[in-house]
Amino acid sequence: MYKTIFSLAIKNAFLRRIRASLLILMIASSMSVMLVIEGLYDGMTASMIDKALRSDSGEVTIFAKDYRLKQYIKYSIKDADKIKKELKELNDVKSVLTRFKINGLAGSAKASYPSDLIAVDFKDEEEFGEFSEFIKEGSLKLGKNGCIIGKELAKNLKLRLNSKVIFTSRDVNNNIVSKLFRIKAIIQSTNINLDSKTLLVPKEAIYKHIGLDNSSATQIAVRTDNEKLIDTIKEKYPSLDVMSFWQYNPLLNQMQDSMIIFNSITFAIVMGVVFIGILGVMYVSILDRIREFGIMLAVGYSYKYIRYQVMLEAVVLGLIGFIIGTVLSLVFLYYLHIYGLDMSEFSDGFASFGMSSILYTEIKTAYFTSIFLAIIFASILSVFLPLRKIKKLTPTDVIRNSL
Amino acid sequence: MFYLAIKNILFYKGRSITTFILTYFSATLFIVYVAFMDGSHVSMLHNSLKVYTGSIQIYQKDYRDEGGYDYLIYDNQKIFDILNNTNGIKSYTSRIETFGIASSKTDSSAMMLTGVDFTRESGISELKNALVSGEYESSGNCLYMGSDLTKRLNVHVGDEISFVGNAIDYSFAADIFKVCGTFKTGMYEFDSSSAFLNREYFDSVFYSQNTSSYIVLNVNDLNENDKIAEAIKPKLDSQYRLYTWQELMSAMVEAMEVDSIFGYISMGLFFVVIFFVILIYGFINASSRIKEFGVLKSIGLSNSEVDKLLIYEMLILSLSAIFFATVSGGYLAYYYELNPIVIEGMSELYKDYGIISDSIPTRFSVFTITWNIGLILFLNLLSVIYPIYYIRRFNPIEAMRHV
Amino acid sequence: MRYLILISIFLSSLFANEADEIIKKLDKNMRGESVYMKISMNIKSLRHERTIKMKTWAKGKDKSFVKITYPPRDKGITFLSLDNEMWNYIPKIERIIKIPPSMMLQNWMGSDISNDDMVKQSSIIDDYDASILKKDANIVTIELKAKEDAPVVWGKIISKIDTKYYVSLEDTFYDEYGEKIRVFKYEDIKKYGKYYLPTIWKIQPLNKKNNLTTMIIEDVEYDSGFSDIYFTKSALKRFSR
Repeated sequence: MYKTIFSLAIKNAFLRRIRASLLILMIASSMSVMLVIEGLYDGMTASMIDKALRSDSGEVTIFAKDYRLKQYIKYSIKDADKIKKELKELNDVKSVLTRFKINGLAGSAKASYPSDLIAVDFKDEEEFGEFSEFIKEGSLKLGKNGCIIGKELAKNLKLRLNSKVIFTSRDVNNNIVSKLFRIKAIIQSTNINLDSKTLLVPKEAIYKHIGLDNSSATQIAVRTDNEKLIDTIKEKYPSLDVMSFWQYNPLLNQMQDSMIIFNSITFAIVMGVVFIGILGVMYVSILDRIREFGIMLAVGYSYKYIRYQVMLEAVVLGLIGFIIGTVLSLVFLYYLHIYGLDMSEFSDGFASFGMSSILYTEIKTAYFTSIFLAIIFASILSVFLPLRKIKKLTPTDVIRNSL
Repeated sequence: MFYLAIKNILFYKGRSITTFILTYFSATLFIVYVAFMDGSHVSMLHNSLKVYTGSIQIYQKDYRDEGGYDYLIYDNQKIFDILNNTNGIKSYTSRIETFGIASSKTDSSAMMLTGVDFTRESGISELKNALVSGEYESSGNCLYMGSDLTKRLNVHVGDEISFVGNAIDYSFAADIFKVCGTFKTGMYEFDSSSAFLNREYFDSVFYSQNTSSYIVLNVNDLNENDKIAEAIKPKLDSQYRLYTWQELMSAMVEAMEVDSIFGYISMGLFFVVIFFVILIYGFINASSRIKEFGVLKSIGLSNSEVDKLLIYEMLILSLSAIFFATVSGGYLAYYYELNPIVIEGMSELYKDYGIISDSIPTRFSVFTITWNIGLILFLNLLSVIYPIYYIRRFNPIEAMRHV
Repeated sequence: MRYLILISIFLSSLFANEADEIIKKLDKNMRGESVYMKISMNIKSLRHERTIKMKTWAKGKDKSFVKITYPPRDKGITFLSLDNEMWNYIPKIERIIKIPPSMMLQNWMGSDISNDDMVKQSSIIDDYDASILKKDANIVTIELKAKEDAPVVWGKIISKIDTKYYVSLEDTFYDEYGEKIRVFKYEDIKKYGKYYLPTIWKIQPLNKKNNLTTMIIEDVEYDSGFSDIYFTKSALKRFSR
């Protein structure tokens, strides 16, 4: 019997071809436009979060108490190497690294700017956040005295690849020390601090110069997929300042929240209007055939049978719209995922948010599952109102009325 | 013809109501959405101009590029006189900035010290409202200091700090200041490096009488800003340069443009969906009336008269819906401009991140509303085209036979 | 041919040694064992012109003490440089301040000399490789090329030296790419005991055409055997008066 219902539903769905295709077109186009917008928004936030995660904090970031406020060398984590080893042994920890940041002054013959010298282990950085992807010019082959400089800082100091830059700071004994570095790579990460005031050097290049203990660090950062891990770490190191990614980047948190709210509102409005569209088409299509249904009831088909048939009809229309919409969306989303949307005309505006001006879309299965559910729901819901009309009528009413 | 249209509208209630409601809904949504979008931009702008920037700043030509005492304004009074004789200026004040080292007993830090007229300053900036502890307006050697800077220096209200820098003739300037008040704007860089000193005392330490780094002013009506800027420009000596907020905050202006573009794209999505629904309803309506049109044609109505009938119907529906939408949307836009929505606790929640205002105002603009409703009307009329085309395909006899 | 090459290698190494010699002699001539000077410094910029007078005591490469004597409002400000560090005492606030790294490249007292120049004046011999570019009678042009690892911002300094007195006439500072950044000129050479010293020094930064700092050495005493007490932190306050 269900086979009959099914084939009847399909047949009926396309009885009024233009009406059906308009409906399908509506679902498909609104779905694809909505998903492109959602994809772009998600892509934007995802890329900011991704860059902040990779270039700086990881999912969990650890400082010595007071370091974030005072930023002095003396507020460093003394046994960072040991902690790093211990963290690595925890479950779910993907990667751990330590960094040492020193405030000072970067100078060239033409200018000087207050800057941070960050001592890192580039092998760890690569494992931690594919660091080499941030390199815009030059390479990681640093050689003797090599350093990596933020793009903005290089511009301000009027320096280029292979230029020398002098970094002056205090050492552990509070004496002023200077050291020459050669710029071997220029990075751009859209992380404003990294781009505008940072020199990166290998740890071994400066630990001796500054008089640091090899095992100390100002920051320890952890990559993990386990959101609960931070509690374990907090418990384990109560004397340290352990922060989650969101605590460390409150603005990104706020931004992501507002994106989610915005996308949900858009989704609700669009699906509401889509519902009205399906409702209209189904309503008319049922009224058109009210006589047919009356006859069916008269010859003994149950009301249930009719309800299934009409519901299925609506669902078939909705699904075809969904399938075409999915194909269209995937084409647009993949195109923008690979080639991106170039908005470089507004690059300053994007930069003020710490964003790059080429936007790439994010593609999530949730996009399609949520729309799938919403469309099925809207389709089924859309037949209830017109069906109530049929239920009220007796078969004789129907036949008499429509004659 | 007109009465026939009205009759038809009343007769086909389902279609009329749906079209009316959807048009009303989309037009109202559009007007309110755009009003909120523009409103939030204006308030964002106002907030950030209000915090510190003002809407116009006047500099000695090379100050912003070169910096330093050689490019100060050396005759404040002359510019003040010009400003006094220009209409539309709400308030103005001069600021003089210098950099140096601030030291407490335990810590020292670079500090930007700005000499201001506290009374006039409160007519320009939000500094007064950013007060955290102590007092804003103070005399003698009292400092109004960023709260993050007080933490850095480890001082509290009542403590003394020393400051060493250069007077504006480049001679040595040093003095002991007392912290009398602290502020927090939420801009970390600003809060962690700035302090303000009353102008008189500043002048006595730094020899800066009648001198300033720049003069900042606010206008009564931001929309008049460009006009006022143009009025001031020719009166200024050639060594001065005037910057409007658009130049001072170009990144922010661009960021808002980007945001608007995304807003319009999202609105575009709603229109696509709503357009389709109106089209579907119009089409269903037209197709159910083919017989009727056949009759009309057979009694002598020309094709174009039938077209006119359909267009009339749509015009009457759209215009009445738009009329109500304009009234309600316009009212909402107007009402919330005067009485912005206040999200309780938002300013508390986000205080640390620099959002000072927790109100979201709309922007009521007749021009914006006009083009908003014009666009909706255009889309509605566009949706009649297909039904017209569809009906024209039938000749009267075919049409009368159509089921 | 081979002979020629040998000669040229020999000559260039000779020249190199000779350049080092000249620089060392020059340095010795400027500094003596110890030197006390009275300096009047005129600083001109686009808008301002002012004069500062000071007394300086210096011993060897790394120790110097400066006391401002004029104008009255700056009188008593003292500076102490030891190795790379610099301290400053200001009588008005009665505090000693250690100049932080972030201020080291700032101008000293608004002149065209940076704090860094003040503390690093000694490092020429350590940080640069000297070679002779040209000899013209007693005027020798020496190129001082920054050593590969030397923490100095300059690429090279070209120095014109009068070998009759072992006194520099002009030092031009270049960046790494050969662009001229600033010029020091020395005039009016006078004899003090066994030492020769130019008594007018002019410093011109080339990116700021309106700036000129002129130092006039009003009085000099070499090797007068003053006390080491100047080079302690307590001197800052003590000799301020």
